[in-house]
Amino acid sequence: MSLDPTSLGGLVEAEEIGPATPEGEAIEGRSPWLLGWQRLRRDRVAMVSLVIVVLIILMAIFAPLATWLTGHPPNEQYRQIGLTPDGQPKGPSSEFWFGTDDLGRDIFVRIAYGARVSLLVGVVATGIAVAIGVVVGLAAGFFGGLVDTVLARLVDVILCVPFLLVAIALVSITGPSLSITIFVIGFFSWASVARIVRGQVLSLREREFVEAARSLGASDPRIMFVDILPNVLAPVIVYTTLLIPVVIVVEATLAFLGLGLPPPTADWGGMLSDAQNFYTTAWWYLLCPGAALLITTLAFNLFGDGVRDAFDPRSDQLLK
Amino acid sequence: MSKSDEPGTPGSVTPTPSDGPGADPLLRVEHVSKAFPVSSAKLFRRSHEFVHAVDDVSLEVHSGETLGLVGETGCGKSTLARCIARLYDLTSGSVTFDGKDISTLTRREMRPLRREIQMIFQDPYGSLNPRRRVGSIIGDPFVIHGIDSRSERKKLVQDLMELVGLNPEHYNRFPADFSGGQRQRIGTARALALRPRLVVCDEPVSALDVSVQAQVINLLKDLQEEFGLTYIFISHDLSVIRHVSDRIAVMYLGRIVEVAPTAELFGNTRHPYTRALLSALPVADPDEADRRESIVLVGDIPSPTNPPSGCRFHTRCPKARPDCAVTDPMLEPAYDDGSDHLTACLHPLAAGEDMTLDRPQIEDSEILAAPAPGSELAKEIRDEPGPH
Repeated sequence: MSLDPTSLGGLVEAEEIGPATPEGEAIEGRSPWLLGWQRLRRDRVAMVSLVIVVLIILMAIFAPLATWLTGHPPNEQYRQIGLTPDGQPKGPSSEFWFGTDDLGRDIFVRIAYGARVSLLVGVVATGIAVAIGVVVGLAAGFFGGLVDTVLARLVDVILCVPFLLVAIALVSITGPSLSITIFVIGFFSWASVARIVRGQVLSLREREFVEAARSLGASDPRIMFVDILPNVLAPVIVYTTLLIPVVIVVEATLAFLGLGLPPPTADWGGMLSDAQNFYTTAWWYLLCPGAALLITTLAFNLFGDGVRDAFDPRSDQLLK
Repeated sequence: MSKSDEPGTPGSVTPTPSDGPGADPLLRVEHVSKAFPVSSAKLFRRSHEFVHAVDDVSLEVHSGETLGLVGETGCGKSTLARCIARLYDLTSGSVTFDGKDISTLTRREMRPLRREIQMIFQDPYGSLNPRRRVGSIIGDPFVIHGIDSRSERKKLVQDLMELVGLNPEHYNRFPADFSGGQRQRIGTARALALRPRLVVCDEPVSALDVSVQAQVINLLKDLQEEFGLTYIFISHDLSVIRHVSDRIAVMYLGRIVEVAPTAELFGNTRHPYTRALLSALPVADPDEADRRESIVLVGDIPSPTNPPSGCRFHTRCPKARPDCAVTDPMLEPAYDDGSDHLTACLHPLAAGEDMTLDRPQIEDSEILAAPAPGSELAKEIRDEPGPH
């Protein structure tokens, strides 16, 4: 990004804080989260990205609205009106806004429905990865010693596994389905989260407030989740927003390789795969799902960058 | 009369005798040592080097008094404090609190005692969790020790905030909204929440602005009077220690070298190290400052990984004699001192002795050079507890 929202945000903030709040006012302290959100709000790129992300989410939720608007169900094949006389896909028109595919289905409606798959996999698989990663990272960093050694090796092993090959092998054994896709992606994405969390916890557990909690007689789980976790949440949230687009692309990749959801379910990766044979004659067939994927991942990434600058400026090098 | 000619057995220190006749001390520290391995243990490799942060320290603290613990950075003050608060496990020795040996208690067994022994930490920025509201930080002790009613807790926390001079309405603010002195008040409120009997103050004012130091010290003194607290007050600042302490223990390289009531320590200094520390104390009167002897110690504090043989101070001591490199002095009354003034020195300072005239009678080379194998000295040095 050519814009530097951190320095800009910092300057603006300094000015706003300058005239100190009069005594007695703002008794409620501004939480680090609130301050982060205020910084994020001033980041124009991030806010535009956020709007796009919200629109995509709305599109996924209200995908049936696309059917209602056009009158075309996602899997309906319009062999009469949706294909040219020689059986080729039809270009964009008032009837088919983004054109049709090789079976005469409405690409616009299918992209709306495809967003459901992408977002569902993106969010759920990322959620699984982050949950595993946070717990493993917390345990490894907090307990240290043998626990750390074992978990750190496990992380190394997971990072070494050739993910795509294993994914292909797994899916070909179990057959493609939504749950196996989510499971495979989630299971192979937690290792980097664990690494980030572990690194943070290693330095946090030496801080005096952890010692203070110990001297009060706090239990290990309490120290881990009440004292340490809130302090690693910022990098975790940043990483989560940056992991979602990665997962969406991975899901599209799997679908492209024929390991996504079984047809006729609409899926961006699957549409791209089908479009390969028609790109000379039907540019819209390839372009529309490709653009949808690009816009989605770009929006998530730019939003993630903004979140990082707002909530956790120091982790810049950590994540790149 | 002089005991300086009697070599003590290395490593043995007599426990500080009780200064209140008949009264059992609230806290008794006996022969406590704490060693840290130098490199962390790997899966298949164990480290063999140790930092002897605290080495065979014995102390007594009586109910209601303030024991000052003073010494250079790295002399083991904070480690000793954390051993007493059982944040660290002891390598050896025992800590007895109120007649109960707490040195081998498990964390679970230790929990009820956490109410009695609390700590105030040095760094007002590091000791408060930046992500939590002040109310919940001060309320932590109540949650951990089972006072769960939210409204009751809020009342208690706000009372505490008032007690330490904070505005109770700032309950919902974050640590970042407070200044260093206010943060130290927050840490104090947290430590006092459960009405402890012993409070270990680990350099509570060292990180503060001088003008704020006095406020916090006065607060601590007021609280001591109000609640009958017993303090172990750690600092490297002698003027602070002098102001707050009833008795002072001077530490050097993991050992206690001199313990005495405050006035006695300042008026009748026995240990050359204590004298050197006191001479570094600034005086407000410039004429007085010019007249005063100033003892500048040469060299750095030796590595606690491999402490010097004999008296640990002999490598820097202006009064060092050859036997200092060989014999480890015991902590005992020097000359005609009372039983409450103990010094660990083979050649303690006599009253009025001018230490600036002293020159060490041993050369560093004599200490460092390996003595001929088989010689008495070599044997003595080899027998020293070291990193083996």
